[in-house]
Amino acid sequence: MIEITLAADVWKDIEPGTEALVDKWLVGEGDSVRAGQPIANVVLVKTNQEIVAPVDGRIEKILVRREETFAQGKAIALLKEST
Amino acid sequence: MWTHRSPAVVLGQAQRSLRHVIEQRIDGRAELLDREAGGGAVLTGPWMVSASVILPHGHPLLGDSLVGCYRWLGQLHAAALAEFGVPARALPAQSLPLANARIDARTVTWACFGGLSPWEVVDAGFRKLVGLAQRRRQAGVLLVAGTLVGATDWRLLCDVMGYPQDEDILRRRTASCEELAGRTIEPEAFASALARLIGNSLAAND
Repeated sequence: MIEITLAADVWKDIEPGTEALVDKWLVGEGDSVRAGQPIANVVLVKTNQEIVAPVDGRIEKILVRREETFAQGKAIALLKEST
Repeated sequence: MWTHRSPAVVLGQAQRSLRHVIEQRIDGRAELLDREAGGGAVLTGPWMVSASVILPHGHPLLGDSLVGCYRWLGQLHAAALAEFGVPARALPAQSLPLANARIDARTVTWACFGGLSPWEVVDAGFRKLVGLAQRRRQAGVLLVAGTLVGATDWRLLCDVMGYPQDEDILRRRTASCEELAGRTIEPEAFASALARLIGNSLAAND
């Protein structure tokens, strides 16, 4: 299972303790996704940032719902890689 | 570059769920729009000049971090304002705590101009003149900015958003270019100067 997170480089220079917010899920649990496909939009320091699927697979579970916030390093979804 | 003939309330992501309520309150006094870039609600209108710049990922002007992206655009706005005799500067992230401590008004989280973010442009009293936001997609980065050239109708925004008590706070947390320059500034003139500086900067970093 692959944890979907907001990439570490996006958090560079961000004040410690700042959280991001899930603006929109573009896919749902059980949906198949392709590598590079946008799956969610999140907001951090007035930036609406796209998160893409790292590999082909299926969204197993959404861990952070729309309008909820999350800290650096926290997984927002679990992706099961296609075999 | 954008100038605006009539007012429009532009909702950020946090206010979109209240859209139906705001739509009823607005009662034809302004257009109601959504934007995908982050941040609070903005009231555009004849008092504002907006800029949108799209850059490819990896462009040198984007810097090496999400926050660093704002530096170029904030400093460029400060340079454009200087041409009109408006003393202003882009605020580094490390100056934000000092700025918020110096402003004698609490943060208004629902409004873009109710708070300060890195590299937004302020006057000597840390009152906000230019708000920044961005949208990052695979195709590139959209940087957006809004400058308060003239006096903003804060009463309209606060009324529409359901926070009439915040009108005075927004007045205290912001300034307009005209107020600081002590003269009328045509939005089209400022837009033209800003476009020239953006163009020069893009050409120099091509």
